[in-house]
Amino acid sequence: MAGASRFAAAVAIVVVIAGLTLLPQFSGEYGVQIGFRLLIYIVLGEAWNLLAGYCGLVSLGTSSFIGIGAYVLVGVLNAADVPISITLVGSGLVAAIVAFVVSPALFRLRGLYFTVGTLALGEALRLFMINASFSGGAGGWFLNAPSPSTNALFYYAIGLLAAATIVISACTQTRFSILLRSVRDDEDAATQMGVRAFHVKLAAFIIASFLMGAAGGLQAYKLGAIEPYGMFGMQWTIDVLSLVIIGGLGLRLGPVVGAIIVIALGEYLADYPELHIAITGVILIVIVRFAPKGILGLGLQLARWLTAPRPASGALRSGAPR
Amino acid sequence: MPSLDVVASSLASGFFLGGIYALTALGLSLVLGVMRLVNLAHGEFLILGAYAGLFLLKWTGVDPLAGLLLVGLAVGLLAYPIHRFLLTPLRGKGPEAPMMTMFGVSIIMQNLFILLFSADTRSIERDYATASLSVGPVTIAWIYVIGFAVSVIAIGLVHLLVSRTAFGRDLRASAVDPFAAAIVGVDVQRVHAATFALGAACAGIGGTLIGIAFSFTPSSGATYLLTNFAVVVLGGMGNIMGTLLGGVTLGIMQSLGGIVLGDGYRDLVGMVLFLIVLAIRPTGLLAGKS
Amino acid sequence: MTGLHATTPSGPSRAPLLRTEGLTKRYGGIVAADAIDLTIGLGEICGVIGPNGAGKSTLIGLLGGALRASAGRIHFDGQDVTALADFERARLGIGRTYQIPRPFLDMSVEENLKVAQFSLSPFAAHTLIERECDEILEQTGLADVRRLPANALPLLRRKRLEVARALALKPKLLLLDEVGAGLIESELTELIALIKAVSGPNRSIVVIEHVIRVVKECCDHLVVLNFGKKFAEGSTTSVLSDESVAAVYLGTAHSPSPAAAVAAAPQSSGATPNPESAETVLALSEVFAGYGQAKVLNGVDMTVRKGEVVAILGANGAGKTTLANTISGAIKPTHGRISIAGEDIAGLSPHQIARRGIAHCMEGRRIFTPLSVEENLLIAARSVDRGEAARRLDEVYALFPILAERRASPGASMSGGQQQMLAIGRALMSKPMLVIFDEISLGLAPVMMDRLYEALLALKAGGLTMLLIEQDVERALALADRAHVLERGKFALSGSAGAIRSDARLRHLYLGEAE
Repeated sequence: MAGASRFAAAVAIVVVIAGLTLLPQFSGEYGVQIGFRLLIYIVLGEAWNLLAGYCGLVSLGTSSFIGIGAYVLVGVLNAADVPISITLVGSGLVAAIVAFVVSPALFRLRGLYFTVGTLALGEALRLFMINASFSGGAGGWFLNAPSPSTNALFYYAIGLLAAATIVISACTQTRFSILLRSVRDDEDAATQMGVRAFHVKLAAFIIASFLMGAAGGLQAYKLGAIEPYGMFGMQWTIDVLSLVIIGGLGLRLGPVVGAIIVIALGEYLADYPELHIAITGVILIVIVRFAPKGILGLGLQLARWLTAPRPASGALRSGAPR
Repeated sequence: MPSLDVVASSLASGFFLGGIYALTALGLSLVLGVMRLVNLAHGEFLILGAYAGLFLLKWTGVDPLAGLLLVGLAVGLLAYPIHRFLLTPLRGKGPEAPMMTMFGVSIIMQNLFILLFSADTRSIERDYATASLSVGPVTIAWIYVIGFAVSVIAIGLVHLLVSRTAFGRDLRASAVDPFAAAIVGVDVQRVHAATFALGAACAGIGGTLIGIAFSFTPSSGATYLLTNFAVVVLGGMGNIMGTLLGGVTLGIMQSLGGIVLGDGYRDLVGMVLFLIVLAIRPTGLLAGKS
Repeated sequence: MTGLHATTPSGPSRAPLLRTEGLTKRYGGIVAADAIDLTIGLGEICGVIGPNGAGKSTLIGLLGGALRASAGRIHFDGQDVTALADFERARLGIGRTYQIPRPFLDMSVEENLKVAQFSLSPFAAHTLIERECDEILEQTGLADVRRLPANALPLLRRKRLEVARALALKPKLLLLDEVGAGLIESELTELIALIKAVSGPNRSIVVIEHVIRVVKECCDHLVVLNFGKKFAEGSTTSVLSDESVAAVYLGTAHSPSPAAAVAAAPQSSGATPNPESAETVLALSEVFAGYGQAKVLNGVDMTVRKGEVVAILGANGAGKTTLANTISGAIKPTHGRISIAGEDIAGLSPHQIARRGIAHCMEGRRIFTPLSVEENLLIAARSVDRGEAARRLDEVYALFPILAERRASPGASMSGGQQQMLAIGRALMSKPMLVIFDEISLGLAPVMMDRLYEALLALKAGGLTMLLIEQDVERALALADRAHVLERGKFALSGSAGAIRSDARLRHLYLGEAE
């Protein structure tokens, strides 16, 4: 059963990704723009879900790695004529290296302290980039390379999502997933089972940071101009966390559902950005309280409830007067 | 290298500003120590205090310093229902759900500020915010001195409340062993609600002072949240006098950072210091109990 | 060391798999494990028993690596493992279970096992992993629930899962921490069969147990811990039949004290103040309670009348502390009714129950360590004016003058005995109708116990109604008017203190010789 549903999910993902490549043929410029954002959000959401949902590392440092990826991409493209795909890998690699460097300090912190530590990391990087002279300070950098077409960007995003899907599936559908979840559920019990918890967390952190870095790079390629307030801004952290929690923390397809909801809400309230974020906050609070597994979890529960045999109602019927 | 006068003035400003940091950090520290809650909306309570001071002045003409208690009361009263309706139902669901809820509250408040008060940069205009005091080579703005004095008094009062009163006894008992506290008759939930409101009030009062000393925007809260965390971690969680010491230390370190690296690095110094201390000693440099 | 002489364990010919030298764990001033020397041969099943707080769980933590030793060394399989982290020891072949099962709740039973398998050999062939997994699930009787999430399992299955998960490490040494606690008789039989089934010539097992039946039927060799020290060691039969070991459990390990003698006098003459006619302070009927899956109380009926001292006895794990916690509201009963002076207390929180006149002097003292002695006392005197609070303080200080001397010192600075006095004093500060005293003599020297029981005797003379939960049977029965003996969450024996003392079944209920 589990194998079948896993296969079905894989097929669904492939079909969706293949279908997405056709989108520019049917939708206008606007549709492709939205599609690009959706894809970036799904990639970021999957990366964050790997950390928080599968490994229990609730990070508020998402923007750090997005920002690093963005600066690496612009820096590299401005300095040399490197193919974009290789530059994106570079963005991811540098983000992963930064994650590796800060991990000994961050992993000394457990639970809430880890969360606060990642928040401080993001803030520290932002302040650093605002003040550092090499990065152009608060003004940031302009990309000198010619700006890509919307469709080209969209195809790069599909490529990134495909890569992310493969990497995340490799983590969440394999033996590694079991080690990840054991650390999430009870780190002490896991180490007593011989799990090298530090290495497991490090692997998840590096993979997630790589994906966030690459996504940040692609976002910078689209923008053509980057500055620290935007690329290292809290907004990324808020959006990514919200979309995963709203969609379904720890569920493979939670980020997809969440990204669709968050982007739809954002588009619907596009003229009222503050209201949009405030409403996101309300939804977040409601989900945390009433649906710890998000909208997708709620849907799955509903589906199970609908398909499950209900002895209670049967008993009621038999007990009714004839 | 800047002149000696500038260095001395800058260090003195850092010292006095550290007192204000300590007051706002105290609120965060109390909530963390007693409720084991990382209040991610703490920075927004602080900014709410700044807005409250601003509008108090605008609408009623009451000087924000005279209205500090009122501001504290208002922010505390707003925090109370947040505890009652959002946090109390999450009892027993682990530490992450309340933290995420406060994260939600934080983004709601931040955006309500924008909706209600616009995204403009504001400051509370008072003479004493710009007037300066000169003692020997040291020249600092009066508000730093006033803010420090007010903060030290407020911290002292909170210290007395926690160490001398029946409520303080209940608070300390609930912090070390909530189970035993309930068994001897303490209504731990009520203590938590009061602690949460007290923490918010500290943030609100400090926020007004910060609003006079500096300009602020609806999204300034996050930086102050982290600055306050740095103070808590430097001073030791739940250690009231340690918090004062932590605040002053951070204030001076920020000034030093500003002198050596340039003014923009002030906040960065706090953050880096925070990360270093957190990594070396997560329980705080001056680990100790209340 | 009293009683038995520690000799070489039963199998001197077997090579030792595990050897500890002077293994010590200190927490501040408290020594939880005190210079323990253990030798466990390959293939041996060694039981570790001892009263609550004797250091048994500390020992498991030290061996498994969850706790760092303060002193001493651990040699395992020809290697010094003292400095190794817990996961490294696990990989060398030390598997442990937790006293309260800690399965990975959101994972299936099968996945729980695979955590150990994959951490040990991440690239092993699929078929090999599945075969090993099947074998362990078969052996531990979990094959039918392999795909269920662990949070759907009842307690016994969770305990089996603990064992199964440890077995998946292919351990040479298996540490079983209180696997028998909270199980009913038939479940114990299954558990014993399981322990025997997983033992073998190449695997040693350490069984830490309160349930004597488990060690009796499984172990070749027993170690008795008391106050963190090795108290006795030898073959299972010799240790269990030894009088000094029985004394550790029954609390007769000390010479009869003056307090006990004094206490016995008024009680034997039937000085109870008209128990039948006095009003009922506390009544329990058909009370069931437990922690999640673990059903600890299975239908308790009891009344306590004004002025009475009722003792609750029973072996460790019988449910005594759970009973106390249920009365004071820390645990909600799943069924049944509890009333205080006729008022049903269903749904009340602990602080509301405290205000209705129940004081609970908790097991382990639970002093508020940063608060001063006087603050610790005053916190329990709620909504009274200064004068009344001062009067009550004076009463407590009169009972325990040392508390008056140290009134300004923080609770943390007090010795164990002084902290216990403080805990008793704190319970009295609310002028309660009834005080529950839970294991006040735990971990204290006999002289200190005498001192505390003198105080309790004085309180009894003053007319205080008490529910006395106690491991030390002799002392409890000397003070009590009536007594109940709990066994697996039910009263197995009830009656007047004198009748219980002379009942032959009492010893059996403690040392598990009843069949």
